[in-house]
Amino acid sequence: MITQFIAIEISLSDLTLSLQDTIEAQLTLQGEPLRWAITAVNQGIAHVEAVVLQEI
Amino acid sequence: MTQRPFTVALIIPTGIGAAIGGYAGDALPVARAVSSVCDRLITHPNVLNGAQLYWPIPNALYVEGYGLDRFAAGRWGLRPVHGNRIGLIFDQAIEPDLRIRHLQAADAARATLGLTLTDAVLTDQPLGVTLNTAASGATWGTIQNPDSLLRAAEKLIHGAGATAIAVVVRFPEDISSEALCNYRHGQGVDPLAGAEAVISHLVVRTFEVPCAHAPALSPLPLDPNLSPRSAAEELGHTFLPCVLVGLSRAPQFIREKFQPHDLTTDAVDAVVIPESACGGSAVLSWSRTHTHTQIITVADNHTTLNVTPQSLGLSVWRAQSYREAIGMLVALRAGINPEALTAKMLPIAFQ
Repeated sequence: MITQFIAIEISLSDLTLSLQDTIEAQLTLQGEPLRWAITAVNQGIAHVEAVVLQEI
Repeated sequence: MTQRPFTVALIIPTGIGAAIGGYAGDALPVARAVSSVCDRLITHPNVLNGAQLYWPIPNALYVEGYGLDRFAAGRWGLRPVHGNRIGLIFDQAIEPDLRIRHLQAADAARATLGLTLTDAVLTDQPLGVTLNTAASGATWGTIQNPDSLLRAAEKLIHGAGATAIAVVVRFPEDISSEALCNYRHGQGVDPLAGAEAVISHLVVRTFEVPCAHAPALSPLPLDPNLSPRSAAEELGHTFLPCVLVGLSRAPQFIREKFQPHDLTTDAVDAVVIPESACGGSAVLSWSRTHTHTQIITVADNHTTLNVTPQSLGLSVWRAQSYREAIGMLVALRAGINPEALTAKMLPIAFQ
């Protein structure tokens, strides 16, 4: 298991789930979210920084 | 008449350079003030930990950030306790003399404060913390050997009966770095904070017990221009005392079989956060599912982020300062609309 930093972008305009569920679903594609936050919002895009757990 | 306990969550995320709460436990006065106008205060180690300084607040619940996010999301509850049995983990990378300093701090907490600790466990590998800064300016970090940390925690919880975990990890240090110099002068972002959060989050996520972290560091050369906001971390050899005090009465996390004194997320009447840091998991949870939880943002507590309530479409009460936010809490508790305390009030209109 390793801890890995990742950054993703989420469009705020076409959410089918809540913002929080959308972020967690996207992060889960890359590992188990351990810590995340939206760190910027620009032109309808939320920038998320996270540390996830990944199995190796 | 029995009133519903007025419950406030005070959140100041770590590692984002908060002007108040981004340094050495320098949001503790805010926590003390907020606690005096509510029945229960829920807050987290970054707010309450001042290295060798701490202030036991009788109605405060010390909740680690991962657990706080789970609590806010309604996945976990909080069960107040009279006391915890604290297990202590030392990173194998800590030098022998520094390890002894920390063991003596733990013994002092036992003898002088009456806290209950198990024997300590040394990790079977150096944990290998690395420190980084993200594009946003927030700090973060990774652990090279997270499994070693979890094996040590398992020994303490399942072998020694620990109900809370304190972790002391050797952190890399560069005493000539600009980040450290800024931090000591009350500016910039705590370079250690993001990695500290990852360590405690990992333990809480895996074992669902309270956990907090103290970094092991060499003493720094004397700086006569030290900021008061950073000074608490330069009083001695260890940051461990505040962690042990906080964990000694930290609530347990529960998933089921709730009892009358347990707290669930809908118990929270208000959450107070920096205005520029509205993008955290807990805040989004309280803004989404529990409409009676009033979010109060504080503009003066600048951070390196710029995630405002407007940018996320959140409905909040906006305070300029913590003094104003505390006034709003008093009004909320009394059932008074804060607008009625100002000179400006618009007449009611038809929708």
